[in-house]
Amino acid sequence: MATEKGKQDAKQPTKSADKAGGGGSGGKGGSSGGSGGGAQGPDYTADNIRLGAAGQALFTKAAGIGAIGLLAAIGLGSAADDGFRRFSLSYVTAFMWVLALGLGALFWVILQNLVNAHWSIVLRRVGEIVAAQAPLLAVLALPIVVPIFMGHSSIYIWSNHEAAQHDHLLHHKAAYLNPTAFFIRFVVYFGLWTLLSRYYLKNSLAQDSSKDPAAIMGKMRATAGPAMIGFALTMTFCAIDLLMSLDPLWFSTIFGVYYLASCVQGINAFLALTAMWLHKRGVLTKSVTTEHFHDLGKMVFAFTIFWAYVAFSQFMLIWYANIPEETGWFKERFEGGWFSGWGLLSATLLLGHFVIPFFGLVSRHIKRRRPTLAFWAVWQLVMIYLDMYWLVMPTIGKHTAGPPFALIDVACAVGVLGVFIAGIAMRAKNLNLMPTNDPRLPKSLAFENI
Amino acid sequence: MSDDHKPKAESTAPELHGILAEYDTPDQLISASKKVREAGFEKWDTYSPFPVHGIDAAMGIKMTILPWFTLVAGIIGLVSAITMQWWMNAYDYPWLISGKPIWSIPANVPIMFEMTVLFSAITTLVGMLMLNGLPHPSHPLDQVKRFARVTDDKFFLLVQAADAKFDEQDTRALIDGTHPVAVENVLEDRVTPSDIPAGLVYGLIIVTCAALVPVALAVKARHSKSDKPRIHAIQDMDSQPKYKAQRENTTFADGRADREALPGTVAVGHLNEDDHFFRGRAGGGWARTFPAQVELSEETMAQGKVRFGIYCTPCHGQAGLGDGMVHKRAEPMGGGWIQPTNVTQEYVRNQPVGELFNSITNGVRNMPAYGAQIPPAERWAIIMYMRALQRSQAGTLNDVPESERGSLK
Repeated sequence: MATEKGKQDAKQPTKSADKAGGGGSGGKGGSSGGSGGGAQGPDYTADNIRLGAAGQALFTKAAGIGAIGLLAAIGLGSAADDGFRRFSLSYVTAFMWVLALGLGALFWVILQNLVNAHWSIVLRRVGEIVAAQAPLLAVLALPIVVPIFMGHSSIYIWSNHEAAQHDHLLHHKAAYLNPTAFFIRFVVYFGLWTLLSRYYLKNSLAQDSSKDPAAIMGKMRATAGPAMIGFALTMTFCAIDLLMSLDPLWFSTIFGVYYLASCVQGINAFLALTAMWLHKRGVLTKSVTTEHFHDLGKMVFAFTIFWAYVAFSQFMLIWYANIPEETGWFKERFEGGWFSGWGLLSATLLLGHFVIPFFGLVSRHIKRRRPTLAFWAVWQLVMIYLDMYWLVMPTIGKHTAGPPFALIDVACAVGVLGVFIAGIAMRAKNLNLMPTNDPRLPKSLAFENI
Repeated sequence: MSDDHKPKAESTAPELHGILAEYDTPDQLISASKKVREAGFEKWDTYSPFPVHGIDAAMGIKMTILPWFTLVAGIIGLVSAITMQWWMNAYDYPWLISGKPIWSIPANVPIMFEMTVLFSAITTLVGMLMLNGLPHPSHPLDQVKRFARVTDDKFFLLVQAADAKFDEQDTRALIDGTHPVAVENVLEDRVTPSDIPAGLVYGLIIVTCAALVPVALAVKARHSKSDKPRIHAIQDMDSQPKYKAQRENTTFADGRADREALPGTVAVGHLNEDDHFFRGRAGGGWARTFPAQVELSEETMAQGKVRFGIYCTPCHGQAGLGDGMVHKRAEPMGGGWIQPTNVTQEYVRNQPVGELFNSITNGVRNMPAYGAQIPPAERWAIIMYMRALQRSQAGTLNDVPESERGSLK
């Protein structure tokens, strides 16, 4: 199919430009499209690709809201007077939610390079900037990881040496679950993510002014394979360390993939919303078209099914084998039946994260219409938050009969997300929001779903 | 191939099928399509080497209804999977698996998923063929030489003569106005048969019938009786040239395949002449002491505890009180279950060790023989541990060291 499209671009120069530029700017876009990056650099249609003042305004707003959210969360957390246990649980939920977006972006960028995707070039820079928040995410992780390093985390009981010594099973897992080993892994995770995201953003920016953009493209593609392997390992182990080890006696071999489902769905929804926001600010309006939104929508839809597939795979093996050390984890989460307590949250995820959005997103028209796509993107981002809540919060213990939703959860989520968006705005405001010199750009501009 | 498809007499000129226009670029094809469409034609089509973006809109083709076929088929597949599994597992032949409910939704989900995908995938393929009118064995355009380049680099538009608006002169003028590189009249194909080749049709019928033969045999086998053994398709593993236990061997007068040992023979090391150790007998009665081979030590006691735990506790319980798990499960079910013996009660306590050994070796009342499973030394070790259990249930104050007696009062 790709070859056919390529041929077609080569043979219908005017039409590609018409489509890409909304009929505005003649045959420039397509004239070099077929040559695929020859001597003359590809041209992009006259489009606004700089955020400028809108970026600064977003930074101020997001940073302000983020700071207020975090301060409110800390205030509420200290008022609870429980050694910041409730705050920590709430914060881990919010952090893993936002980390899913950051890791999703890194995965997305590596993936587009790995498969040499053409359609996504117009969106690639946005993805790269989101992925480049890895160092910021490392800082945001400190409230979780510092107590672990110090050996007295209120939610990761394995971090406490005394507790680990007195529990037979924890004692056996101590070779992996101990503060020192965790510290090393934490540095590896965020170090690798920082390196990879910097690498991709740096090369991509260099490509904008390069005389040989195809060489840089080749370099980024060549790195994508090993990068993907490194990403897969670090993402999996990070999910195990930060989410699964909340219940250190429970284990699931599919857990990393389960978290990846949220990462990939999250970033595709996030990119769709970001592009819509950019359009409102008059940025990328001619470059990112309905076709690109349609593709992002397809990915959100596909990963709706993927999430259900992985979630059920995880559940079914444990349910069928019915071994107490595994089923306990689900038992906690099914407490209260279908209509109350934790069971209600599980039922909400089954219906709200899969069944309802499956039928909501199945139609092509819904994915091509921006308001409806935005609705489902927001919906699934909320569901991913609830999924993180479902993974984390039952750790709180038996004294709550169900999800203890409270203001502190909102404060943490708004706080972490606000800081994350502020970081993106900060980085994005002075950069080209599209790789203007990539040889594949004309095909991305002219991209059409059949 | 019937007579209809044979070439007609040369004298009759074939009718006009339509007018074909050739273009160099997809853009010319699109603008030509717009003109033909605006002229109000209905029976016309375009041909290109690859899918041309925008051609659907230019030709006024509506979005296909194929996705609805897929959705409906998927839902039918899902419902079929649920119904089938309910009928098979919960209704027609209820079968308890792993203690799950008879009709257990989680176990059904993989089949539901697979059948949803299967139904929708096959329906999508068949629906696509149907909506496209495929298979289409012949077309007048196949006779047009220049049309061969449609699979390479040329773009074509064909207006059929069957269209209500078609007029040879006017339509020709309209097409000339779209600036094609070539225009050609296409005649009806009188050479190629338009039916699916008979060989293919009969072939498919034969294959379908052949595919039904195993089904028919299975149905027949389910509803009839036969004296003959069942059909044995793959024999190599099941029928081996050797004698199995309990089979006939005509070589021997008694016809038995498994031979008995000759009377009076003893396998090396199996003479077992020590009555005390192997049979628990000494001095013409049950032995009252442990044989010399059994060491009275902590190790023997520990071994006895382990063996007792493996072989005895299921019925007799951890403390030998006759309350093992088998008893606990069997008693509520009724049905004449008799509780296993409490091995600490007085009459068992008073039995000589030799008699206990005999009970383990050969069984007693309901209890089966364990001689074949437990080596003699381990049987003695079990008895040693039993003696300890009996002692624990019949202890007196005198058994407690004087220094500890105070704590019991």
